[in-house]
Amino acid sequence: MRYIDPHIHCSSRSTDDYERMAEAGIVAVIEPAFWLGQPRTTAGAFHDYFSSLVGFERFRAGQFGIKHYCTIGLNAKEANNERLAEEVLDMLPLFLAKDNVVAVGEIGFDDMTPAEERALRVQLDLAKELELPVMIHTPHRNKKRGTYRSMDIIEEHGVPPHMVVIDHNNEETCKEVLDRGYWAAFTIYPKTKMGNQRMVEIVKQYGSDRVIIDSSADWGISDPLAVTKTGNLMLGQGIAEEDVQLTCYKNAISAYNQSGQFNETDWLNPEPVDESKLFEGNSVLRGQRPDSSTPQEDGIIT
Amino acid sequence: MLFENRDSTPPTPAKLLRGWLETATDDEGLTWLDDRIAKVESGDAAALYLGFGLAPRKVGKQPLELSTLQLDLAKEVRSGWDPSTWNVGQAARTLLLLSIPSEDPGPYFEHLEKLFNAAELQESVALFQALPVLPHPELLVDRAVDGLRTNVLFIFSAIAHRNPFPEEYFSEAAWNQMVLKALFIGAELDPMVGIDRRVNPALAEMLIDYAHERRAAKRPIPVELWRMVGPFADETALEDMTAILAEGTELEQQAIALALAASATDDADEILRSKPQLAAQIEQGAITWSGICDAAYAN
Repeated sequence: MRYIDPHIHCSSRSTDDYERMAEAGIVAVIEPAFWLGQPRTTAGAFHDYFSSLVGFERFRAGQFGIKHYCTIGLNAKEANNERLAEEVLDMLPLFLAKDNVVAVGEIGFDDMTPAEERALRVQLDLAKELELPVMIHTPHRNKKRGTYRSMDIIEEHGVPPHMVVIDHNNEETCKEVLDRGYWAAFTIYPKTKMGNQRMVEIVKQYGSDRVIIDSSADWGISDPLAVTKTGNLMLGQGIAEEDVQLTCYKNAISAYNQSGQFNETDWLNPEPVDESKLFEGNSVLRGQRPDSSTPQEDGIIT
Repeated sequence: MLFENRDSTPPTPAKLLRGWLETATDDEGLTWLDDRIAKVESGDAAALYLGFGLAPRKVGKQPLELSTLQLDLAKEVRSGWDPSTWNVGQAARTLLLLSIPSEDPGPYFEHLEKLFNAAELQESVALFQALPVLPHPELLVDRAVDGLRTNVLFIFSAIAHRNPFPEEYFSEAAWNQMVLKALFIGAELDPMVGIDRRVNPALAEMLIDYAHERRAAKRPIPVELWRMVGPFADETALEDMTAILAEGTELEQQAIALALAASATDDADEILRSKPQLAAQIEQGAITWSGICDAAYAN
């Protein structure tokens, strides 16, 4: 079975992770621009981060047979540094039109401040202009209100719900998100967000239509195999293969292919010239080949 | 008149690119591109940045597939220009670059800097391969030299291969580093424009040291290296060459023989005489550096 992890922060993961992901069947990933765990102090730091998302990280993933895409945006936390935020918003046109950018994101709320709201609105307008999907980060605190408020603002800007993935849902938010016509994504992440088994229950209750599973694996304690493990858990508990494929692969394609930049053919029929050049030009492997014999972990997050 | 040439001004790279795109993309793509070009010409920076990114999506990513005649014309318009490996999106990107107002070098250079600094991999290739047709080339030398610090082979090749820019604008030190690095990362030398014209004693000296060090470590020596060494082969080089000529692979022997033939010293002639068959083949033109390069990288 093929899997996509449509929300993972590869920049903070190791090559070991890429090897295990490829081995577990993950063929493509989307890396949303987010914060680095500490606030950036200059716009140049954002510039270099965005550059690596469209450049080196894409190359590095390719070295391990994984197609890498990204989303570009100013995240909610750092929107609160208003002077910096203005510079970053001005920089976005340099990056949003790149070939592997499949959405504006992840944007939305953290503290629900006016500065966060302004950055959200500016970026929704950019998404509209470029006809790009939007990836919404929903806040950890005051999640329900933050999620609903995000959707209200999206609707005020006339961005249609089918162009928007609302991420980090839980049992409390997902009904409203699905009822209002959005893609509802769920992050399998230890302690916070969603667990594997809870996810199985959600798919049992709400079905597979417009439901997307991701890992958000990043610099924290997180699991780059969360999607494949949840898929296996669902299969083991009687959820039909078709529904597993929708939630762990196909819905992500339907949602992000609206950018025109996220086509199954990219990884099923990789461009031969580019691929061979990527492998020859490798600066990650330093002459080695990816080791596909690394054993796969089978622990699950509860 | 059927074949009347209505445009009497001489062809330019921009005109050629626009003409190639006419057959390579559809009306919708062409309309989009012409609209962008007009905006970029009027100084609209956001139109340039978004347009540069969007171009392949709007006009296509397929190879340009230029005919021999078209490639000959390209060389006539800009000596050494070789867009044989270009694709349609890259041609459109180059046209957008050529539309940036450039009378005032300051703002022109700033736009290019922004595009280079934000470039993803394919954009970097397009930017570096556009170097020979861009105005104010002297402003772009540092950028080209810096670009070679990449470890991504196809970006290195965009600068070093089929690109007349390095031969024309690189200092001897920068040129020599390019050649030396190519050998280290497994990039061919033969597609470097001016490879034989820019041989120099300092480069040969570095390569002779490198070859000697590789031989001492019992590691293979890239066969193309000898092309740069031949004209300057000293005692150390001749000693290494003699040994490889005696016991090396067929391809190594061919390369050494060809280098010896280029050296034109009595010592070199004498060594070459130990392989009369190779000497004869070289005389007939049956062994060439292009052929050796192809054989070395064929797999």
